[in-house]
Amino acid sequence: MGDVTVGGTRSDVALRARPRPGFGRATLALLVKDLRAELRARDTLPPMLAFALAVALLLAFSLPGTGEGVGAGGARRGLATAQVVAGFLWVTVLFSGLIAFARTYESERAEGALDAVLLMPLDRGALFAAKALANLGYLVVTEAVLVPVFALLWGIDAGWAPFAGVTLLVDVGFAAIGTLFASLAAQTRSRELLLPVLALPALVPVFIAAVELSAGLWSGSGLAAVSGSGWFAILVAFDVVFAVVGGITAEHALG
Amino acid sequence: MDDPFQVPRPPAALRPLGVLALAGLILSLVLALFVAREAQASMGGQLQRIFYFHVPSAWVAYLAFAVTFVASIAFLRTERRRWDLVAQASAEIGVLFTTFVLVTGPIWARPVWGTWWQWDARLTSTLVLWLGYVGYLLLRGLATDKQRVGRLAAVVAIVAFLDVPIVHFSVYWWRTLHPSGPAPLPAQDSGLGVRELGAFFVSLVSFTLLYVWLLGRRVYLGRLTDALEQAEIERARDERTAVPA
Repeated sequence: MGDVTVGGTRSDVALRARPRPGFGRATLALLVKDLRAELRARDTLPPMLAFALAVALLLAFSLPGTGEGVGAGGARRGLATAQVVAGFLWVTVLFSGLIAFARTYESERAEGALDAVLLMPLDRGALFAAKALANLGYLVVTEAVLVPVFALLWGIDAGWAPFAGVTLLVDVGFAAIGTLFASLAAQTRSRELLLPVLALPALVPVFIAAVELSAGLWSGSGLAAVSGSGWFAILVAFDVVFAVVGGITAEHALG
Repeated sequence: MDDPFQVPRPPAALRPLGVLALAGLILSLVLALFVAREAQASMGGQLQRIFYFHVPSAWVAYLAFAVTFVASIAFLRTERRRWDLVAQASAEIGVLFTTFVLVTGPIWARPVWGTWWQWDARLTSTLVLWLGYVGYLLLRGLATDKQRVGRLAAVVAIVAFLDVPIVHFSVYWWRTLHPSGPAPLPAQDSGLGVRELGAFFVSLVSFTLLYVWLLGRRVYLGRLTDALEQAEIERARDERTAVPA
């Protein structure tokens, strides 16, 4: 922007000389902008982490007889307990994700910068992709803190590599649909309230799959059992559908 | 006012359609209650008759959400107000009929399964479907910018529709309590009688007519609301620009 002189002929030259950036470059630039803003202001990730930990602690008090383990060592506790703990984990992720996603367009909205962002000669899909990737990053960081805490509280110790894969798949679908609905909800009167109302029903299949797969892994089923179950296919299918629908409709979801 | 408010006229076919739907519904009631034979005990015997209203309600809900889905895509492509009105009207009717499904199902399930509700795949996915479209209607009510509502809602409608195939195929994909296919029709050895099939299809057609009539009424109501708003805007403008005497 520095070399553009408004009102002069140089601006025309500068504008003409620069081709419209491609999807990948635009996405990357927007993503770097958002992450840099977050690194400086730190107004999304720290509250999100604190919230997630508080919820985890509250849930720990609500489940009797914790600390005996649900993983391979604690296989005696069986699938039922594993399912309860998996349910707790994913509900915690879901809630912390939703409060963070509700802020997706907050920095743009606050100073009316969204109009400027929308005026840029960019594919709206790139804006959506950048926001979704930033949200995906917040989710991954939160889980990196949350999952070890859950493992300590409930003694989970099984299938970490496949679990990380399942987690990433859940995050992709969650970030895609959460970001899409965040941009819709941001344009209504009751922003923070409407996001969960819209997103939760759409996310039900993803989270049921997440709980089933995590519980399966923690209660001793191997990777083969997990990849053979229909839930894995459902998770992948929803990731693809949500990402594609999000990318296509983003143009209409923003402004 | 010098310029009288132009009231849009309702489509001419609407009234006969309503009469036809009403007649069909009365006929379905008679057929379902008196003509169709009692079902096997495992399906609840006499209680199974609720099926003649439960399934057509589910069909109308699917149809309504499919129309919303198509109208939403059409609206995003053309930006024509007509499509937005159709999408909203159809979603409202869909929520209404999904509610009928969610009410009639437990009434039957309580005596037959011994419980009002089961977290079975089809029941769960139907409830999720209902919630998804309730969210859609909430969004329509809460959007600040009237010009934008249609576009935002259309995006939600497209995502919410993803649940419809899940609801429909849930009984085949997962082992569920919910009966699938034509199973709930009368005793298996007697086969599907013409009386039961007749009652079912008359009910299905009548519910579909009811849907079309409701859709027509609701879209017409939307056009009236638009016309009224337009008239108010014009009047306010005239009052402001009027030269004081």
